[in-house]
Amino acid sequence: MPRRISSGRMTPGRPNPTPVRRVGGARSGRLGCMSSFVIEASGLSRSFGQTHALAGVDLSVRAGESLAIMGASGSGKTTLLHCLAGITRPDAGTVGFRSGSGRVEITGLGERERSRLRREAFGFVFQQGLLIPELTAVENVALALMLNGMPRARAEEYGRGWLAALGLAGLEDRRIGQLSGGQAQRVAIARAQVTGASVVFADEPTGALDSVTSADVMSALLDSTTGQGRTLVLVTHDPGVAARCSRMVEMRDGRIVGERVAA
Amino acid sequence: MIGRVAWLLARPGTTGLTASALPVVAFAIVTALLLAVLGGAQTFWTWTDDWAVTYQALAVIALVLLVVPLASLGGAAARLSARRRDDRLATLRLLGATPATVSALAVIESAVLAAAGAVVGVVLYAALVPALALIPFRGEALGIEGVLLGWAALVGVPVGVVLLAVVSAVLGLRLVVISPLGVRTRQDAPRLHWLRAAVAVVVVALGAGLMAVLQVAASALVILGMLAVAFGGALAVQNLVGPWVIRLVARAQAGSAKTPAKLLAARAVLESPKAAWRQVSGVAMTSFMAVFAGSGVAVLGSMGGGESDRESELLIADIRTGILITVIGSFLMVACSVGVNQAAAILDRRDLYEALGRLGMPTSTTDAARRRSVMSPLRITAIGSALTAAIVMLPLTGITLIVAPASLLVIAAVLAAGIGVVWLGLLATRPLLVRAAGA
Repeated sequence: MPRRISSGRMTPGRPNPTPVRRVGGARSGRLGCMSSFVIEASGLSRSFGQTHALAGVDLSVRAGESLAIMGASGSGKTTLLHCLAGITRPDAGTVGFRSGSGRVEITGLGERERSRLRREAFGFVFQQGLLIPELTAVENVALALMLNGMPRARAEEYGRGWLAALGLAGLEDRRIGQLSGGQAQRVAIARAQVTGASVVFADEPTGALDSVTSADVMSALLDSTTGQGRTLVLVTHDPGVAARCSRMVEMRDGRIVGERVAA
Repeated sequence: MIGRVAWLLARPGTTGLTASALPVVAFAIVTALLLAVLGGAQTFWTWTDDWAVTYQALAVIALVLLVVPLASLGGAAARLSARRRDDRLATLRLLGATPATVSALAVIESAVLAAAGAVVGVVLYAALVPALALIPFRGEALGIEGVLLGWAALVGVPVGVVLLAVVSAVLGLRLVVISPLGVRTRQDAPRLHWLRAAVAVVVVALGAGLMAVLQVAASALVILGMLAVAFGGALAVQNLVGPWVIRLVARAQAGSAKTPAKLLAARAVLESPKAAWRQVSGVAMTSFMAVFAGSGVAVLGSMGGGESDRESELLIADIRTGILITVIGSFLMVACSVGVNQAAAILDRRDLYEALGRLGMPTSTTDAARRRSVMSPLRITAIGSALTAAIVMLPLTGITLIVAPASLLVIAAVLAAGIGVVWLGLLATRPLLVRAAGA
């Protein structure tokens, strides 16, 4: 059965396990109550021609935390996110992912296995949403479940639930071009969450939004991830967005040069 | 100022050289095919005997039939060259560029790309001449001299192709000029009225009625007139009803789709049923003609027996050759058109395909979806047109079924092979999709 979250909206149950009341206020996923690592990266290096995007990065992500990766353009933050999520294979180093069924070394998986892992265990939110324009909002969300073999009717039922939970009730059958930027980004969040992903990766999720919508979308993102005990890893250049996460690392020239944990 | 901006836009963007190369290739194919068709047909106008007029009339019919898929391919090439830039042009419009500036930029770019393609097309045609020379008519091959065109055609056709590109660019960019935001967000949802279907049913019934009373007509001229009305009316109706039927089927498919590929394909067609129709509409005429003329030739052939003279036998054999060439040519052009449109669509949506790949959507699913979005309208068009022709020509197709059933099988096999050729055209763009998804 769906439960209420702090915003008073309803959210669906499985396959995304039923949400719990958000506990972190503006900043969620406190480190104090978590210790197990969900992602462990060690010695990551990645070059594009003569450019060293990553130069020996070690990073561990705890279950339930929200981690912001900051840095100037070209510092390697998106490449790091791609390596952690199994989108890009590093030239050297390893990335491990721990879930209920054990530990998987992502860097040792083939393209097909990594693709399956991304589909089933991870969620993604991109700067432009990158939703399929000819599909309706609910079909965009349901598609993530249909790709995992769920029947369409059930997938759309979950999709509608998630859209309603994110404040989009009544807009389910609109095409993406008929939604505002903030609404489209909420659809993208629903798509990332509906599969029950244990880790959500977000690449500049508020980069294309105004400050008010940006704060709103960020709240929705935190509510639906760390607010439910899931993990959020996001890349941003916005200090305001990073400040709402429980931990922040700063990158420069392919290395982590600073780390700050929320008080 | 326009010249400077045009130069800026002409530089390769994020899609690299492919974005410029694709329209050039498409225009080259259009030019080469047009020259090949004209080259093949010109021989008929060198004949002066009693049969010459018959061959010339048949050649005109074949040319008219090939003009539709050719125009469709030309339009696809022109739209591709225009669409490569329409987002940027829309942005310029938002920045305050006047409609005249935007139109001028579109015209300049399309004309330059079309001219480059047309020149390559002339070279391609020259390479095709030896193969065209081998096609037999009236018992002998056409020969190199028969298919080699004069300077007037070699200059006139490329100029015509450039003009086609310019006109298409201007028409295609009306939307940018009228509503730049509409283009940037692609939010228009198309609507088609059911009245199209009602008109179609009436015209097809009228055509069938005309064919049924054909034998009571007083003169050959009246018979020809009635044939033209039935044939032309049925073809016009296809253009009217084609997009509507495609939309109707796609809507039903979208509602019942159980897999991601089926859902994506149906929604892609629903996004623009007119575009889906335009892509395969050349097949509608060819398929219609294959049944219409194929049945007639089959019946004539079976009635000939040992009494017919050699010229009549040659004419029937040549009509068969003509039908075959027209069907093959038409499907080749549709295959090229599909290839061009699909390549453009992949380039346009490469960010989305890349994102879907990152989300874990298998490329096979994306590929299956776009395959279905082309093949489903194609099947509807080819089979629907053949059935329409069979209905209009009901007495003749009925006779053919009895006296020459193999002919109908041959027609069906040729149409199936044509659909296969289009499928190959689609397959040719798969590497582009794989690159985009894995980018």
